[in-house]
Amino acid sequence: MQVASGGATDVGMVRTNNEDSYRIMGALNLFVLADGMGGEAHGEVASSLAVETVVKHCLEGQQNPNAPLSGEEKPGLTEKSRRLASAVHLANQEVFASASQNAEQRGMGATLTAAWIDDVNLSVAHVGDSRVYLLRTGVLQQLTSDHSLVAEQVRRGILTASEAESSTMQNVLLRALGTQPEVEADIEQVGLFPNDVLLICSDGLTRMVTEPEIAGALQSEPDPQKAAEKLVKLANEGGGVDNVTAIVVSLKPEAKGWFSWLRSGANKSVGGNGTAGGH
Amino acid sequence: MAKLSLMFENKLVKEVPIGAKPVRIGRSPDNDIVVDNLAVSNDHARVYFDAGRLVVEDRGSLNGTFVNDLRVERATLHDGDSIWIGKHHIKVDAIADAPLQYQSPKKASAPMINETMVLDTKVRREMLQQAAAMGERTQFASDRIKVPTIVVLSGRTDAKEYILTNRLTTIGKSAMATIKLKGWFKPAMAAQINQRDDGYYVGSGAKIPAVNGVAISGPTKLNDGDLIEVAGVRVNFIVRE
Repeated sequence: MQVASGGATDVGMVRTNNEDSYRIMGALNLFVLADGMGGEAHGEVASSLAVETVVKHCLEGQQNPNAPLSGEEKPGLTEKSRRLASAVHLANQEVFASASQNAEQRGMGATLTAAWIDDVNLSVAHVGDSRVYLLRTGVLQQLTSDHSLVAEQVRRGILTASEAESSTMQNVLLRALGTQPEVEADIEQVGLFPNDVLLICSDGLTRMVTEPEIAGALQSEPDPQKAAEKLVKLANEGGGVDNVTAIVVSLKPEAKGWFSWLRSGANKSVGGNGTAGGH
Repeated sequence: MAKLSLMFENKLVKEVPIGAKPVRIGRSPDNDIVVDNLAVSNDHARVYFDAGRLVVEDRGSLNGTFVNDLRVERATLHDGDSIWIGKHHIKVDAIADAPLQYQSPKKASAPMINETMVLDTKVRREMLQQAAAMGERTQFASDRIKVPTIVVLSGRTDAKEYILTNRLTTIGKSAMATIKLKGWFKPAMAAQINQRDDGYYVGSGAKIPAVNGVAISGPTKLNDGDLIEVAGVRVNFIVRE
């Protein structure tokens, strides 16, 4: 799969500092986003520490597949998923340690959402209320679930999805990085198709821009960098009450692979006919 | 009150109202609707309200339960539907079944929180309980584990039943698909099912799926018992407990 990507972030129209951090590791097809919290400048410290820790651990794993993993292993995961889960575990420890050692950083934390593409396999690791969306055949689908109070209430049938959107409690998270010694990350593995588009974004986007608007922007702008910028602009136009970050990743069939597929397909069908004729 | 009318060759045999208890249908005499025919199992099917929706459930009968023309394991019923059991059919009159309307719970006078914050486990439990007390809707929020399942009714697939464990389930011929279609001319990606916080949604792929016989116009929320048809395959969406 051919992977192209772009990212954009903005402080928004209301806040004075940007606590979102993101990294696009093109060579690895690794995309990491964190949305920090904790007042003053400490949200930024938490989110950048989280992103750096994840990137570093994944790079190590790429260079040496036997590099030690952190945390408990879950069954049924691919190598990339295991590495991502381990990276999140490590990032939690780093942020938690920093917050406990520096009195002024107490209470800082971050959301963390990372996506790693290995040809047709996508691994997602996720804590908090940033999101991963997949746009496929025009349908926008959410690959993560928010670890927020309102989302939990929707899952329990206490609130409807639209009540959750107008709730005053949207800022309350049930899980975040760096606020507890241990954190459970959600790991999701998804098979990718050509022409899929991935969006990784902070809640500053999803609170300001509706899903149909997001789907429309992703469909109308094929260039991932421009699509990411357009989404950030939409969030600011919608009010921009929070920092906003968008990473857009587009997947195209391998140009070379396409022709080789044609050739191998032709060979296969000749062979198939031969067998059928023999009976 | 909603009712069921047992018919034989277009003649009304018996009428039974549907109340709080399930209506039991079968051959043995202790059923609410007794269908005395060898093609009918002793404990054949049940009809009941589930969260305001009328549902028919086959009890593992030998010859099956059909809604209109489709064999079902469990299906939601609509006014005017016919449940076929052997040579008998049961007309569904659901006009009076308007589900209880919920008063939207009053918004708690919660303080406006601008900064993102995290709750520890104890506070979280308390807040969830408070929130739960706000709405009657909690009566549907059970702690029983629900297992969403796709049961294949007809069409060629690599399995007859799939438990939906991922956020995204793909139906198609592709090796990447969860529900793999077999046969020529099947699309690589026919349709997809996305788990959201408030339930499961079916969306189109190369084909536009139909839910309960109606082609969808966008991602459509699935209810227990819904019938999905796409690319020559018919499946039931069932939530098992």
